[in-house]
Amino acid sequence: MPELPDTRQTLLAKVGDSSNPEAWREFTAIYRPAVYRLARRRGLQDADADDLAQQVLLVISRKIADWRPTSPQGAFRRWLATIARHAIINALTRGHNVVAEGGSGVLQQLQNQPDRDTSLADIEEEFRRGVFRQAAESIRPEFQESTWNAFWLTAVEGLPIEEAADTLGKSTGTVYASRSRIMRRLKDKVQELEARQSEQ
Amino acid sequence: MSIHPATCDPAVLELYLEGQLSDAEQARLEAHVATCANCCTKLSNSAADDSWWQDASRFLPTDDWDGPPSRQYLDTVAPDANLDTTTDRRSLLKRLSPWLDPTDDPHMLGRFGGYEIAGVIGEGGMGIVLKGHEPALNRYVAIKLLAPHLASNGAARQRFSREAQAAAAVLHENVIAIHRVDQSQGLPFLVMPYIGGVSLQKRLDEEGALAIPAILRIARQIAAGLTAAHAQGLVHRDVKPANILLERGVDRVTLTDFGLARTVDDATLTHSGVIAGTPQYMSPEQARGDAMDGRSDLFSLGSVMYAMCTGRAPFRAETPFGILRRITDDAPRPIREINPEIPGWLESIVFRLLAKSMGDRYQSAAAVAELLEQCLAHNQQPTRVPLPEIPPFPQPIRAAAPPRGRSLGTTDLRYRALWIALTIAVPLIAGIALYDQFWPRTPLPLNTQATAPTAPTGTLASESFAEPDAGSEDTSLWHDGVAGTLDDIQATLRQIDTDLDPELAQETQE
Repeated sequence: MPELPDTRQTLLAKVGDSSNPEAWREFTAIYRPAVYRLARRRGLQDADADDLAQQVLLVISRKIADWRPTSPQGAFRRWLATIARHAIINALTRGHNVVAEGGSGVLQQLQNQPDRDTSLADIEEEFRRGVFRQAAESIRPEFQESTWNAFWLTAVEGLPIEEAADTLGKSTGTVYASRSRIMRRLKDKVQELEARQSEQ
Repeated sequence: MSIHPATCDPAVLELYLEGQLSDAEQARLEAHVATCANCCTKLSNSAADDSWWQDASRFLPTDDWDGPPSRQYLDTVAPDANLDTTTDRRSLLKRLSPWLDPTDDPHMLGRFGGYEIAGVIGEGGMGIVLKGHEPALNRYVAIKLLAPHLASNGAARQRFSREAQAAAAVLHENVIAIHRVDQSQGLPFLVMPYIGGVSLQKRLDEEGALAIPAILRIARQIAAGLTAAHAQGLVHRDVKPANILLERGVDRVTLTDFGLARTVDDATLTHSGVIAGTPQYMSPEQARGDAMDGRSDLFSLGSVMYAMCTGRAPFRAETPFGILRRITDDAPRPIREINPEIPGWLESIVFRLLAKSMGDRYQSAAAVAELLEQCLAHNQQPTRVPLPEIPPFPQPIRAAAPPRGRSLGTTDLRYRALWIALTIAVPLIAGIALYDQFWPRTPLPLNTQATAPTAPTGTLASESFAEPDAGSEDTSLWHDGVAGTLDDIQATLRQIDTDLDPELAQETQE
């Protein structure tokens, strides 16, 4: 049985398995906002982008049963990206009539700006963003608000350390230390999610 | 017993980043970093290299392409366990008063079930623990009442009585005796000896790590007590230093609150003034809400032993959520790194007890008691008694990935953490003040655990209060009344599960 080298429960099996809602939840928490953002970047409005994100996830959930773990690492993500891309383009095409009535439809934009096509690189970037955000969200409750803020204000919002220390009423040493501790945890979590998501 | 972080030591920085330093070490490091530009840079670099910092600043801020906040995924409010509850300090007394009969004794609060009530020892999720005096035998007793709001719940009443009777059937020198299980004015209660002494928690708070013979003696007795209970089919479910009483002067151990915690399973406690403690000594299966058995108590025993070896609980984090996460996912810092005086074989025993998988632990409390007995004999007479064979337990460097599909999901954990945070209120602290305030002339022996869930030493600080009234010279401590802590949490979570997924929850309930 060379085509079934591994019988362990894969992510895909788990995602497709309705008795494992947790895997699906994590999956959608990462990919749904990613697709939403891609759609927004292509000019869709909030409600349309949200619809589209839902549709894409639906497509993925149906197609996931077809995926066969045969290829090297990372293949699943590429496969996913391809599906997402097709789904986005399809959705935009289907929306043609409605959009066209509005005059400046998304499809028009798409046709007028072929170079602004949703590239796989864009998709990869949004997937990575999705993983980062999901990681941040999931570790956040492990830290006290003030520790978290030391990280957020400086590493994410770019506030100078001294200013953040002032704002938080902490020493600069504490801010340096806290934000590094969270960065480490974030990195570990991102890697953990990446590993799980690329598991075939 | 703790290592002193040499300044600018990369190894210490690494421990810090992994959240493995003690509070004191951590504070020292932060103070140093403030004055050392070199360490600031080193910390940032060892946390993660530049590309990670760039990615964080690139990916995490919200921008124009994000959905409205309701659809964003970064809108979680971190459950800050420092909930400042404005608990009405009088409420406990008020709630209690309808059940107390008047007394002639001016030093007493009232009468209940034939006992003169001298004070309130504590309040837990399940009920209230009173200090009573039994005139006929002229002795003090501890009376645990099922909380009135639970007493109206038939299932909870039955469970309370059943568990109390089961606990009463455990006759063992290391398990607290139960004198009586009864009810008065519709409130089920049980009566136990009033034990003078300190809890292991208090001793750890005061002394830090214990000496090896003390560790072995105390652990052996806990294991012996657990053996007796497990033989009766009773799982403790809340083994923690605060529930382990040490009689003064000797290392004689009494395990309290056996099995009683389960009572709260039958009631939903999301609304009540429940005290919960820190989940620091919980087993992974308990943290996940999975089925437990005696081996879950053994995990908790492992955590208690770890605390005796190092002076601190093995799994610590800033929030209850973080603690649960560490219990299910992380390996604790090696004991000998914190306290080099602990021999390798003792560390191996503790780590086997702390195995994430129940199957990897010792399989019975009896086996552990027996093993510790032999170790103790060896420790006392090293030349005459050989050390029993203790295979080294593979020391996981770091969180082996949690078993797939079994780990706490983020979302579940978040709900749990939220609710744990919500239930970690501090009415006991209020209680202490309350009784001091209300009966300044009859200071009450209010011994209780005040929870400080976010303190990374994470402690249930046991306070004991000198007792000035005649005939009782001791600094006495009674166990907490924080019984049911763990099960409060479980019950709450179950409720949440039910809310979220009624079918699933139904299946998991018996």
